[in-house]
Amino acid sequence: MLGFELRELSLNFFILSFYSHIFSPPIDAIIDMNTGASNIEHAFSPYTDNGGTTLAIAGEDFCVVAGDTRQSEGYLINARYSPKVYALGNNTVLATGGMHADGVALVKRLSQNLEWYFHKHDKNMSATALAQMLSTVLYSKRFFPYYVWNTLGGLDSEGKGCVFSYDPVGNFEKQIWSCSGSAGHLIQPFLDNQVGHKHQSNVKHHLLSLETVLKIVKDAFAGATERDIYTGDFVEIFIIKKDGVTVEKFPLKRD
Amino acid sequence: MLAPNPCLNIIKPCRSEYDQGVNTFSPEGRLFQVEYANEAIKLGSTAIGIQTSYGVVLAVEKRITSTLLEPSSIEKILEIDSHLGCAMSGLVPDSKTLIDHARVEAQNHWFTYDEKIKVESLTQAVCDLALRFGESADGEDAIMSRPFGVALLIGGVDEKGPQLYHTDPSGTFTRFDAKAIGSGSEGAQTELQEGFHKSLTLREAELLSLKVLKQVMEEKLSGANVQLATVTKEQGYRILGEAEVNELVAAL
Repeated sequence: MLGFELRELSLNFFILSFYSHIFSPPIDAIIDMNTGASNIEHAFSPYTDNGGTTLAIAGEDFCVVAGDTRQSEGYLINARYSPKVYALGNNTVLATGGMHADGVALVKRLSQNLEWYFHKHDKNMSATALAQMLSTVLYSKRFFPYYVWNTLGGLDSEGKGCVFSYDPVGNFEKQIWSCSGSAGHLIQPFLDNQVGHKHQSNVKHHLLSLETVLKIVKDAFAGATERDIYTGDFVEIFIIKKDGVTVEKFPLKRD
Repeated sequence: MLAPNPCLNIIKPCRSEYDQGVNTFSPEGRLFQVEYANEAIKLGSTAIGIQTSYGVVLAVEKRITSTLLEPSSIEKILEIDSHLGCAMSGLVPDSKTLIDHARVEAQNHWFTYDEKIKVESLTQAVCDLALRFGESADGEDAIMSRPFGVALLIGGVDEKGPQLYHTDPSGTFTRFDAKAIGSGSEGAQTELQEGFHKSLTLREAELLSLKVLKQVMEEKLSGANVQLATVTKEQGYRILGEAEVNELVAAL
């Protein structure tokens, strides 16, 4: 996990000593030589994991991107409806897992880039161009990354569904199905089997119909909610087709 | 002893008062330095661009001023990216700055978006630089003290098909079916108007460009004193070898 643990004597110097912890061992308390009193430790950790699960599945002429809406911090639930999946306006949908604030900041930056691109080039950015741009944006913050695991869904230049999944520093891969987040490891084998037809004999791999995909997505989230405390409340499902994006919202267990 | 400055003559004020600052408008609303830059292009060698539905043809004359000159050292058609070419007329070194900028813009676009930059966007990027002369505004650094004395014919292919753009020192860019720039441009433009039609094939356009150059050039046309390039969807930017040009000259 990409967590930063910083220990220092004064918050005033936190910027100066931002990277110093890498070179010096952590100090829990400093004893003042004159008074013998120990200073209170200040720790700066700019990252938090707000949990939640996202997934995306590509079809022949559509793409489905979904995410639950619970926002957690440890054993607390901050919000039951805090969407982390965003329609970006150029017929693409981005699911952002990880730290909510970083996801919001990233989406704001991407939206601005999309707007600039539209005015500069007099066309909407394609899903594939956005996929590369997102990677470039993420890597530009290689040494203070957005704490976000992205999944991007859209249609390629031929109108076929496409899914791109990312790590926080911009590695990305084009896939047919993808899931990530707090219940990502629970859902992955289920998707591998149901979407990728893995571990099934006498079945040739084929792209699924929208109807089947929606059933799988709902089952995946219902199942994840049972086992993962960070997933629940609602699942928001975005369906991307050539003439636009539609959203469906379904309740999940709230416990 | 310096010659007296004619502009200090109060009885006969001359227009060159407004030549002092490159961004100073004259009372008639003109920027003389930009107009003089346009004049510099009219002294340059002739360059021609023709757009067809199959691709764009760029052709330039090379002035071989001496028998001792190595013709291949004159380069007036350059590659910007695999789908973009550029022919120039005017001050050659000025074109280097613009074309270097164009190449960087094209690569940056590919790097960020994993797609080829549009011909119009690339042309706009070049023209953004063309206007950055004179004293710089706050926070922006001008890199030229004067306007660029060069006109470009930018040919390329993108999702909108083959396109030809013309840029001038004022930073204006215009799309053309066929355009001539340089010393022979007036005559050449008339010839192009005669010879151009929408259904030209690439080879017909190559022959037309050579035919027009032949009429405006002083020297005899040959593979050594003209340069030809094509930009097509299939092959992208391609400069023609001397043998290929000679073959076309023979077919005229």
